[in-house]
Amino acid sequence: MKPKTILRWVAGLLILAGFAGIWRLQHRIDATLASARVEQDQLTLRSPAALKRISLEYAPLMAALYWTRVVQYYGEKHRLHQTNLELLWPLLDITTTLDPQIIPAYRFGSTFLAQKPPAGAGQPDRAVQLLQRGIAANPDEWRLYQDLGNVYYFDLHDYSKAAAAFTEGSKNPNSYIWMKTMAAKIAAEGASPETSYFLWQQIYETTKDPQIKKNAEEHLILMRAQLDIKAIDQISDQYEQRTGHRATRMVELIEAGLIRGIPRDPAGFPYVLDESGKAQLNANSPLVEKEKTVLERR
Amino acid sequence: MRNVWVVATNTFREAVRDRVLYNLVFFALLMMGAAILVGQISIGIEQSVIVSLGLSAISVIGIFIAVFIGVGLVSKEMDKRTLYALLAKPIERWQFLTGKFAGLAMTLTVNTAAMTAGLYLALWSVKHTLTSSDRYLIVAVYLILLKLVLIVALAMLFSCFTSPFLAILFTLGIYVAGLFAGELRRVQAVNLTPAAMSMFRAMSYVLPNFENFNVMATVAHGRAVPGSLVGQGTLYAILYGAIVLLGASLIFSRRNLK
Repeated sequence: MKPKTILRWVAGLLILAGFAGIWRLQHRIDATLASARVEQDQLTLRSPAALKRISLEYAPLMAALYWTRVVQYYGEKHRLHQTNLELLWPLLDITTTLDPQIIPAYRFGSTFLAQKPPAGAGQPDRAVQLLQRGIAANPDEWRLYQDLGNVYYFDLHDYSKAAAAFTEGSKNPNSYIWMKTMAAKIAAEGASPETSYFLWQQIYETTKDPQIKKNAEEHLILMRAQLDIKAIDQISDQYEQRTGHRATRMVELIEAGLIRGIPRDPAGFPYVLDESGKAQLNANSPLVEKEKTVLERR
Repeated sequence: MRNVWVVATNTFREAVRDRVLYNLVFFALLMMGAAILVGQISIGIEQSVIVSLGLSAISVIGIFIAVFIGVGLVSKEMDKRTLYALLAKPIERWQFLTGKFAGLAMTLTVNTAAMTAGLYLALWSVKHTLTSSDRYLIVAVYLILLKLVLIVALAMLFSCFTSPFLAILFTLGIYVAGLFAGELRRVQAVNLTPAAMSMFRAMSYVLPNFENFNVMATVAHGRAVPGSLVGQGTLYAILYGAIVLLGASLIFSRRNLK
């Protein structure tokens, strides 16, 4: 082999070794940057109006870029289990000012804002503000009323406003038929497990965001358990009416012919009756821990 | 080494003769204008505006010089046929390339140092004083300089095998892509296959990560830059620059100059 060819081979190998070094070095730099990341969270230009002027005719493109930044910001915070989402509102404010027709920013953005930390920013008032802005700019977008109703119902527990939002949305001929009946039900009863279950089911079936879907699924599983417990308590009431005393074991309900077997929760663990005869989750069920986490979030 | 030094000093002299440093006048005017206007357009963030604007100007002006002059370093010598006379002397092609690279790096260092002095002057005229946190500006400028040196290496690499126009496009393209190298690694997309994610991750290491040199926001708010980041950034620039120059030398040594 000629000396020049050998030199070229050596140079080629050096380049490969160099990139291996780059790979290792970049990991270290990433770690250094990650430790300083909280300090680097910032938004140089906070004025949406100024940004819109600077963007000239490219405001929709800028809005798309800002929306991408919202998603990356939220995703990154979620991944790092960081709860300080103080830039979420300014970023959404800028995005929707640059392009008021950007519907996903209102829909997903309000969910990110409304949920309690660590799932969201815990700012339901901002979520309402965002959705009302979206409705004003897009009055035909009836799904925004649905989202507004959900924020009032789940996060602010303001049932009259939730009912009003669903009623307003139901006026759109393209809206879901259930919105009108749901509005009437909430106006009459306020919160109920059946209503909550139905609304979470709607979120689960219609959302495209995997995190929102997962959150809805967790709620549905827990609500299913709550509805089961409510049904078991009703059966226990019947048992008490018949026998004059409250059952404290599931076997008593089976022997009385009121249930066929011991009912199980969605995780497969049998429900139990406590000393006062109230149905509850099995202490070994993973739903007990899940219930604590979800309740903390709400 | 002597050959490299001779080429480098000549490249520096040529850049000065070509009035490359005239950009300093533009920078001075920009800084003076900003210093006068900043008090009228912002409240409480004068320092942040001046520092951000100054560092951005240093970066943008430097990038223009690094790309346009960097691409011309080799191609101009070929167009003018001066390269043939030079290579007829006892000088290796890699020495020629390294010397050209070092010469432009020197030019950029002088240019950046002058602009940094201008930035300090503007800062002083706005605040009427300089505080200890203002020293972090030097760190930001140093990291910008490392970035510019890397861009010069890339411009030279591309100019070794393609036309000046395409070399400019490639260099600017790699620069923009390099700004998103970190994003490529952290991309959160549900509709990407694992293969595509792996490809993005691999690309993020092959592309020069210019995000490593960006501490503008930290410095603009008077915060310290971790010393480890400066060290790692320096090491990164040396390693990546060496790889690119080695690649450029390999290509240039095989190039048919007839």
